[in-house]
Amino acid sequence: MMSEEAIAGNKSLFTPFNLVAGIIVLMGVLLTILRFTGGLGAITNLSDNNPWGIWISFDLLCGVALAAGGYTTSAACYIFGLKKYHSAVRPAILTAFLGYALVVLALHYDVGRPWRLPYPIFVQQGTTSVLFEVGLCVFLYLTVLLIEYSPAALEWLGLKKVRNIVVKLTLVLTIFGVILSTMHQSSLGALFLIAPSKVHPLWYSTYLPVFFFVSSIFAGLSMVIFESTLSHHYFHDKMDDTHLKENRHVTFGFAKAACWVLGGYFVMKVFGISMDNNWHYLGTSYGLWFLVEILGFVALPCFLYAVAVREKNVRLIKWTALWTVLGIVVNRFNVSMIAFNWQLPSSERYFPHWMEIGVTVFLITVFIIAFRFIAKRMPIFYEHPEYRDTH
Amino acid sequence: MSITRRRFLGWMGAAGMGLTVGRPANAAGNKNFSGYPESIGVLHDMTRCIGCRKCEAACNEINKLPAPEQPFDDLSVLDNKRRTDATTYTVVNRYDGIQGADGPIYRKVQCNHCQEPACASACFVRAFNKTEKGAVTYDASVCVGCRYCMIACPFYVPAYEYNEPLEPRIMKCTLCYPRLMDGKLPGCVEICPKEALTFGKRDDLITIARERIRSFPEQYVQHIYGEHEMGGTNWLYVSGVPFSALGMREDLGVTPAPKLTSGALASVPVIAGLWPVLLTGIYAVSKRKDKIAAQERRQAVKAALTQASADAESKLSKALEQAELKHKRLLEVEVKKAVEEATANNEEENS
Amino acid sequence: MHKGNLRLGMVAILIIIGAVAICTIGSTAVQEPRGPSQEARADLITIDTLKTFGDIERPAVIFLHDLHTEALAKQDKDCKSCHLEVKTPPSLAKKNALSVKFKRLKDTSRKQVLNVYHTECIGCHKKSVKSGQKAGPVERCGKCHLEPDGAHVVSDRHPIKMDKSLHYRHIEATKDKAKDKTQCGLCHHKYDEAKEKLYYAEGKEGSCLYCHGDRTEKNRMSIQLASHYSCVDCHRRRQAKDPTLAEKNEIGPIKCAGCHDLQEQRKIKVIKDVPRIKRKQPDFALSQPKEKELSEKEKQDLVLMDPVPFDHKAHEANNETCRVCHHASLESCSEKCHSLNGQKDGDFIKLAQAMHQPQSKRSCLGCHNDRQQERACAGCHTFIKKGAGPDISACETCHMKSEGMATAEMKPEDIAREMLKARNPVRETFKDDDIPEKVVIKTLSDQYEGAEFPHRKIVKTLVKKTKDNKLATYYHREKGTLCQGCHHRSPPAKKPPRCSRCHGRPFDQNSLSRPGLKGAYHIQCLGCHKAMNLEKPKPRDCKVCHKEKKK
Repeated sequence: MMSEEAIAGNKSLFTPFNLVAGIIVLMGVLLTILRFTGGLGAITNLSDNNPWGIWISFDLLCGVALAAGGYTTSAACYIFGLKKYHSAVRPAILTAFLGYALVVLALHYDVGRPWRLPYPIFVQQGTTSVLFEVGLCVFLYLTVLLIEYSPAALEWLGLKKVRNIVVKLTLVLTIFGVILSTMHQSSLGALFLIAPSKVHPLWYSTYLPVFFFVSSIFAGLSMVIFESTLSHHYFHDKMDDTHLKENRHVTFGFAKAACWVLGGYFVMKVFGISMDNNWHYLGTSYGLWFLVEILGFVALPCFLYAVAVREKNVRLIKWTALWTVLGIVVNRFNVSMIAFNWQLPSSERYFPHWMEIGVTVFLITVFIIAFRFIAKRMPIFYEHPEYRDTH
Repeated sequence: MSITRRRFLGWMGAAGMGLTVGRPANAAGNKNFSGYPESIGVLHDMTRCIGCRKCEAACNEINKLPAPEQPFDDLSVLDNKRRTDATTYTVVNRYDGIQGADGPIYRKVQCNHCQEPACASACFVRAFNKTEKGAVTYDASVCVGCRYCMIACPFYVPAYEYNEPLEPRIMKCTLCYPRLMDGKLPGCVEICPKEALTFGKRDDLITIARERIRSFPEQYVQHIYGEHEMGGTNWLYVSGVPFSALGMREDLGVTPAPKLTSGALASVPVIAGLWPVLLTGIYAVSKRKDKIAAQERRQAVKAALTQASADAESKLSKALEQAELKHKRLLEVEVKKAVEEATANNEEENS
Repeated sequence: MHKGNLRLGMVAILIIIGAVAICTIGSTAVQEPRGPSQEARADLITIDTLKTFGDIERPAVIFLHDLHTEALAKQDKDCKSCHLEVKTPPSLAKKNALSVKFKRLKDTSRKQVLNVYHTECIGCHKKSVKSGQKAGPVERCGKCHLEPDGAHVVSDRHPIKMDKSLHYRHIEATKDKAKDKTQCGLCHHKYDEAKEKLYYAEGKEGSCLYCHGDRTEKNRMSIQLASHYSCVDCHRRRQAKDPTLAEKNEIGPIKCAGCHDLQEQRKIKVIKDVPRIKRKQPDFALSQPKEKELSEKEKQDLVLMDPVPFDHKAHEANNETCRVCHHASLESCSEKCHSLNGQKDGDFIKLAQAMHQPQSKRSCLGCHNDRQQERACAGCHTFIKKGAGPDISACETCHMKSEGMATAEMKPEDIAREMLKARNPVRETFKDDDIPEKVVIKTLSDQYEGAEFPHRKIVKTLVKKTKDNKLATYYHREKGTLCQGCHHRSPPAKKPPRCSRCHGRPFDQNSLSRPGLKGAYHIQCLGCHKAMNLEKPKPRDCKVCHKEKKK
């Protein structure tokens, strides 16, 4: 018809999104070239005293924490049997899968010899290292996520038989995914156990692994809410009735769950200080920042979630979800960058180079591009008509 | 199931044999590594060091490191505190104005070759090895460049070749391991004119250090740095002034680095073993809940149906009864009418 | 909750968090430890009088006395503006003294003390402020009652020693010029328990510290109080009489810093060659166990060490105060305290211990060990191990046999004098011809040429530095003893062994504490230079001792 043709005719490649994304991708490519011709020193402010920077703090630590929505959502739906969250599973898995893929991609920039990344698994295993455990679990979990995501792709490709076999693996993969997630989420915290003399006492605790694991739960839940907010805005036309109907359940259910976990986490953090008798540190400037973190980014969202669920205030839930996500970023930054090396004089402290930030922005853009590509074409927000009710 | 005597004896014999095959198992509990017995170390006596930097020069030459910007006999370099970096395995630092010291104190900084190195524990490809000789060596052929060793080292020793794009390495003192295996002395030890670096077995060095402190109590602080710090190091220090005045942290504790993470790693098998059971259990419980819910629903429907049909039946029988009664009455009325009519007819005929 | 209120609440919380976050940006900088920003003062007094009445609520006040003295002097006010007169003098001084307490004579109750301080201090501050001068705080308790880490001053009070020179100056200053008679009684007194009075006992004078300790006891004030009442007050009175004395530097200080500041202490005029204090002390003494301590049987059976003759006069001349040895009384050590077997008065420290304890500055051995750290001696003595027990053969150095020198009738003092005469100090070493003039060390020559050094010159310098030292010349028993400073661990000899005879390969497992030859040379030479504080040659000036070999 006339209108359709007109619409089809106006479709140009230079949408605002494509332009901005294109520039960022171009910058990313240039930075990649610089990285592999000039070494890490060419585009980072990393030093011998500060070997880990924003690529680890944000891309790795925050990336993994925020991709936790994958295991939490699929656990809620398939293990705990809460079927009303079913429509949220595929978007969450997609976020998690792309998230972990981007983490691995980021590691290719950060690590000195990225082609040797398979070494710890296949060549020589350093089993005394927490990082070995992180690497192994991330490697396995990325595979699990790939398989969990694949039904959507297989449906899109029309490979019915393969798809049906893969779907049968869902429960096993979910359980395996939770096991692997528990291990590597906590191990990312355990990484810093080896340096008690370098991490500020308010953030250093033998419970760091537990803190990281528990916080990943509400990080994932909040990230799902946040991602669904954005998706509703940009991919609304791709969402089917089930998805739109269940969305309310997801928002409120996840907000409630996140509220409870935040509360428990807050209590654990207080116990953490009490166990090591670190109260006197609260009176220092680091102590003030610590209070900002646990009061402003843990206690406050816990409270706001509770209020929002009670008042049935969806808007408040969405903003609180964003705030919680921010809080996770603050926490991971604190442990790995701000409270780390706190005893060094300020002249020897680290601040990221703009090129490091540039690579991070580039990677996030790649994530968004991939997400958009997949969401617009594959049955993520809707059920493929041929496979309805076969989940 | 009956069993023959022969078979029983055979099984007992096999079990007995099986018991002899096993080896004693050590629980992972209270083990403590006190170093390889022939482990070599170096004792750095900071009351002897004069800051001549000959050790830096020797190290640079032996390890074929690039020449520095300022030559080694330029002592103005000591005006700044330095640390090891990608082209320097060791530096000498000067510390002025320390209370109780008549003049500046000099200290040589390099890898301390810990008994239980944090770097070796942290490395996920086992690129570091605590050799029996005592040196902690680095194998660049497996290193991925993750730099976790740099995070782990409490002494801020390992340095990285950040400006090398394709083959960056960790750079740190090797205790001249190849020379040690050749029976030679490490370069720095050999060249030091004041014998501020004493070389020997670690146990002997501790004896020497204790003897020195005992014999000259006013000249030394009563502590051997490295004897117990971070579980013990092979590079030991004695000093005439408090160690904290020389940039050496005295709050590192005596726990070796691997023990700091072994607890967290020990939880992995627990999770791997427990979680499947737990999660499957939860799944089973939730599945059972669903099943029971479905069952209850079916029962309710069934009950409702039965109730409905029973209701219908009773209604029907009541209606039938009533209909019959009505019919009966109607019949009676008709019969009465007919009888009356017949009687009336009879009377007419008779008159 | 109203949606609008909620929004407002959230915004408020965000603003608070933002403000806090900005304030804590400085948290990435580590707080450097408080260092040179603290001032070290000698006049720092901590006012914590209320502690005698129980726990104090606020931190003790840090009071700078000289600061106030100077400020009041500018207003033409003197000590009497804060210190009241005491009726009964605490010394035998004739005039009334001023109490060291602030604006009161007695501490009666907590309230009284509190009020005195608050009313007087703050009142005076207020008055000064009114008249336009800088003054201390007038409000806000915390400005005087500073938290421990809030103070920017730290106490640097050094005690003042009454040494021989100062004592002599006091004798001359207090002499009755008309009669040319000393008036020791002005300061020296004893206390009569029965009469409860102070009195002067001639010939029994001693150090104030013998009676006045660190704390005030029932009837005996602490040394701090005693010295301030006696010393400072006397200075004050004299200065009031004759203000010119201060300018001429002929009167003791009144300000804290004058006595207690290290720099000011150095400015005190020192008179060398002070005439000997007249206290009827012996010139010589024979240190031996007391006759009455031993029973007849013991005298026959016990094997005792030979007595030690002691040159008391020489030791007096060599020390700044008597208290160096006579730490509790001017009597002989074994008279009442350090007997052979030890007794309560001497804390059960036996005579032998009292004479020999190597760590104590009061014992013979301890003081002699201390002397070894002097610059002229340190070069060799730094390397001699401490802690090992004494060399038994060294006992004879002090414990001498008195046969042939003593007769039964002689007094111990005279016996001692004779024994001391019999000692021969060693003031020289071998003849010049026997000492190589130059020595060239080229055994290890690698990067450098041989090291040539002026061997004879070094030996002669050592001899020069020690020949007038009685201690050195007596303890260095042989001519070759000085050589043992470098040629150690071998008997003294005219031809002592070379270094390379014993020192060879370094790090020999069978002789753990012996350095290798290169180390031995440098440790010995450079170590001695450092101990003797030699400016040249500098330790890192390698070329000064050995030229570089041309490649």
